[in-house]
Amino acid sequence: MTQPATAAQKETPTSAAKSARGQEISRRLGLRWDVRSLSLLGVLVVLVAVGGITAPDEFLATSNLQLVLTQASVIGVVTVGMTFVITGGGIDLSVGAIVALASVWATTVATQEFGFAGILFTAVIVGVGCGLVNGLLIAYGRLVPFIATLAMLASARGLALQITDGSTQIVAVDSVLDLGARDAYVLGVPPLVLIFAAVTVIGWLLLNRTTFGRRTVAVGGNAEAARLAGIDVRRQRLYLYLLSGLCCGIAAFMLIVLAGSGQNTNGNLYELDAIAAAIIGGTLLSGGRGTILGSVLGVLVFTTITNIFALNNLETAVQQIAKGAIIVAAVLVQRRSMPGDA
Amino acid sequence: MAPQPPLLTMSGITKSFPGVRALDGVDLEVQAGEVHCLLGQNGAGKSTLIKVLAGAHQPDSGEITWRGEPVTLRSPIAAMRLGIATIYQELDLIEGLSVAENVFLGHEPTSAGFVVRGSVARAATAQLLRRLGHSEIDPARLVGDLSAAQQQIVSMARALSHDVRLIVMDEPSAALDPEEVDNLFRIVGDLTADGVAVIYISHRLEEIRRIGRRVTVLKEGRSVAGGLPAESTPTEEVVALMTGRNVEYVFPERPEAGFAAGSEPVLKVEGLTRRGEFAPVDLELRPGEIVGLAGLVGSGRSEILETIYGARKPDGGRVLVDGAPLRPGSVRAAVRAGIGLAPEERKAQGLLMLESVSSNVSVSTLSRFARAGWLDRRTERAAAHQAVRELSLRPDNPDAAIRTLSGGNQQKAVLARWLLRGCKVLLLDEPTRGVDIGARAELYAVIRRLADEGLAVLLVSSEVPEVLGLADRVLVLREGSVVHTADARELDEHRVLDLVMEGSPTP
Amino acid sequence: MARIPSTSRRALLFGTAAASAGALLTACTSNEPTNQEQATDNAPVADDKPGKAVTIGFAGPQADHGWLNAINDNAKSRAKKYSDVTLEITEGSNDIAQQIGQIQTLINKKVDVLVILPADGKALTQVGLQAMKAGIPVINLDRVFASPQAYRCWIGGDNYGMGLNAGHFIGERLKDKPNAKVVELAGLDNLELTQQRTKGFDDALKNYPNIKKVARQAADFTVESGQAKMAQLLQAQSQFDALWNHDDDQGVGALRAIDQAGRDDFLMVGGAGAKSAMDAIKADNGVLKATVLYPPTMAASAIDLARALGQGKGVGGLAEFEIPSSLTLYSAVVTKDNVDQYLPTGFK
Repeated sequence: MTQPATAAQKETPTSAAKSARGQEISRRLGLRWDVRSLSLLGVLVVLVAVGGITAPDEFLATSNLQLVLTQASVIGVVTVGMTFVITGGGIDLSVGAIVALASVWATTVATQEFGFAGILFTAVIVGVGCGLVNGLLIAYGRLVPFIATLAMLASARGLALQITDGSTQIVAVDSVLDLGARDAYVLGVPPLVLIFAAVTVIGWLLLNRTTFGRRTVAVGGNAEAARLAGIDVRRQRLYLYLLSGLCCGIAAFMLIVLAGSGQNTNGNLYELDAIAAAIIGGTLLSGGRGTILGSVLGVLVFTTITNIFALNNLETAVQQIAKGAIIVAAVLVQRRSMPGDA
Repeated sequence: MAPQPPLLTMSGITKSFPGVRALDGVDLEVQAGEVHCLLGQNGAGKSTLIKVLAGAHQPDSGEITWRGEPVTLRSPIAAMRLGIATIYQELDLIEGLSVAENVFLGHEPTSAGFVVRGSVARAATAQLLRRLGHSEIDPARLVGDLSAAQQQIVSMARALSHDVRLIVMDEPSAALDPEEVDNLFRIVGDLTADGVAVIYISHRLEEIRRIGRRVTVLKEGRSVAGGLPAESTPTEEVVALMTGRNVEYVFPERPEAGFAAGSEPVLKVEGLTRRGEFAPVDLELRPGEIVGLAGLVGSGRSEILETIYGARKPDGGRVLVDGAPLRPGSVRAAVRAGIGLAPEERKAQGLLMLESVSSNVSVSTLSRFARAGWLDRRTERAAAHQAVRELSLRPDNPDAAIRTLSGGNQQKAVLARWLLRGCKVLLLDEPTRGVDIGARAELYAVIRRLADEGLAVLLVSSEVPEVLGLADRVLVLREGSVVHTADARELDEHRVLDLVMEGSPTP
Repeated sequence: MARIPSTSRRALLFGTAAASAGALLTACTSNEPTNQEQATDNAPVADDKPGKAVTIGFAGPQADHGWLNAINDNAKSRAKKYSDVTLEITEGSNDIAQQIGQIQTLINKKVDVLVILPADGKALTQVGLQAMKAGIPVINLDRVFASPQAYRCWIGGDNYGMGLNAGHFIGERLKDKPNAKVVELAGLDNLELTQQRTKGFDDALKNYPNIKKVARQAADFTVESGQAKMAQLLQAQSQFDALWNHDDDQGVGALRAIDQAGRDDFLMVGGAGAKSAMDAIKADNGVLKATVLYPPTMAASAIDLARALGQGKGVGGLAEFEIPSSLTLYSAVVTKDNVDQYLPTGFK
């Protein structure tokens, strides 16, 4: 115990020069990470150019920027959670179903009686609860993530249907509805976008600047090595699914604000959208490497495509084809820009 | 010696990859029916050379002649058609297919050109396995259910299922214990008697002595010596050729005074046992002492190490560090008490291959660099840098990607992890596997120095000379039981082999 | 609303309707539409006199949607009205294999008449044929079987008619406005019914040369998609006069987006007949002025038809001795003026 500590102290006099060099190197490293996202940023720039040319009046308006960011917010928050799970070597197929369940549970007549706090609290608790079940099944029940979260997908959707009987639950709590109104914008930024931004920043810090993030990467990169290095792999896995559930709960609340209602069909195919956004952002599907920034860019790319297509009144079929093409193109570009990892 | 033209000659072979000149003029000549050994440190170009020979890489320049005729090996299939088969170190079998399906993968016996005749393949496979002395392997079994040694036999059967004239074996003995190595050598002997040539790659000089006829040495992409007699070339000469320097003392000297025999043991193992793996083991380890566990694969040596570490749960007994018992079956308890493990499978169990050296070193010490979970990355990096520098890890850059490092330097990163943590007991499982000879000596010196600084080291190695040369005290294991304990200086290799294989004739 | 891939047979019916442009009734439509569209609880039952006891088997898809839920409720409460009717209702399922199994069980139980709302019309045709061969007549509800031999009578809604009536309603409101613009928020584009609703709407608009459809986006019947797509449409079209929204459920989201954008400069027509939409029409404080019905009361009518079939009678008020072989329901337009009549049929 004492030996390395004294060694470190001995080194102090020369450490100033070294740390300068270290900073320089980590800056370079940081740049390399940006290069990964850079290709996606390029795609986004091209999309903005396309939007600006095809629909100059509508696309470049402030109201459209607000619209695109708002539409990206809900799935964006889900994607941040998904990025952690994938980086930790897992997968969460239940995110859409959890959003659906949390959104209907938080909008039942009984819950609505408790007003704003009741709705927010219920959405978050239901999300975290589902994440807890996922995490326990995977970390301590030793179920494969794919199976455990697939089971959660089925049961959460089923429960959501049971709660609603298929009907749409309209929100009658004004304070919740007002959060989605234009009056609630803070210096022109919709509150939902602020939540998304906050989740992104916290997610980035958590992944890149904390022991939690480092352990996530270690568990995802090599679970056996992490275990033998003394990391509590199972607890880490539990936390990851809890985190994903929490993000789903927050997203469910945001969706309630956005749509003014809860419905059992909410969050349809969120799992695929979130996985796709994370992967094109540069997160490795096999785990061990993740980027929040890339994931957020991935979400923005998808949302911007949808926006441009809608502004130009193009069909859904064409939108879907373009989405597929962009996934392939982005991944191909990334591969080329980093030959070492192909 | 060779009245007929050589089976294979390669001359002036070069091959470059972006940024690396992997082969820089290699000459190789192989006669029919000989065992030709290829020696060289990691990165000397052996792998690239055999890939050229297997048709997997195209050389940039140079000539290959096969039985006197110039040839181009455009693809693996072209090489196979000529009769060149390669058994790679990383076995390339498909675990979900049966033995017979693997053996005949790509050239299945068929009727009407597409209907696979499974029974024919199984019968032919059974015959090949009998020839290899392993008729107990059922051709219909899934390869995934076989042991590593059996899988190697299947690889060899696959090579022989073609009409081969030359077999390339890349470190075939790495995963085998001595008994199986003997069988391997018998097979190699049979093959050469039939006129088949073998190119044999190994780090183990004693093996090369036993079966090789001639040796070609590679260094930095060049062949620095060709056609040396395998039996009579002195070790010093071979090592000097490989490393470009003279290595006189491979093992570091033991400290004059020895460790303080009277001092309290830091690690105490009392009656530790796991059913079916090892009988109750008692063990004491004092600061500054290196204790070696010698035994065959399957004698329980790695299992003992992993049980002490908490990675396996014991059926009985306990482990004490400084007199305090550890919670059984908990890695975290062991780590907290000051035990560190350098696992056997370095890549699979030890390293985060996507990460930097620094992240790999600090992974067990993260909370020390964090306040409320917040990492101080500069301190972390500086501490990791300090730790790897103490072990003279190269390159001297904590930000280097761990996967770009050589085996020896990767192992140093694992050691640095525990050095940084300040552990008291270091468990080393096969610390030099996949580490080339030059780097081994350096690793030995590092381990001895750590012991001199007060660490207690428990060492497992399948190479008896390594245990004898490095350890102070040796425990000999046979079938899960300690059969002998002695000062390392009182033992020699012959005696240890006698003990581990009691009853079977020693070579 | 109901996601029904329609078939050629119905397309033929719609074709006829389209040919006689302006004629809103198809040949087979009941002469007494109000009878069908009224709330089951209030509507007079077809023949109050108890007759021969009839056991009716009912198999529908999983009620994962308000409209389908209303279908089940309508069937159940209608059957309760008749002392001579026993209803055997299966657990709804979207799994085709499971629904086939459920129907075969009903066949084995030898029910007198089957009412089937198939999860997928084409995929369940075979089991319809089986029932008919076993001598059990089938009333095919809404999603039509691929073969007319698989049912004795088909009864269902009119998707083309929905679009047509929505188009005419908007057309009449805007006919005096030069260069009027309309936009369309369609349902799930994969479904044939969405195409039919769009086709009917476009055909109706051809009668009003001053009106132009300037944009169309497809949502997927969910509130969430309705909000998202409507928000985009509002961004794309800074000014328009009318909106035709295929579905009241996605309309909840669309209305939310309209509210968030602070727009009220157009009129909106919904589809299907959800209670929330009717409430909004009645309150008349927003853009929603009308909704075009796709009535879930068709399930109650199906029970009537099944009972008549089981007792060997025709439909009251019609001259024939037998029930018709197909019945296409009228897609009535619910406005502030007539909303009170329809409110009880609105589904949640």
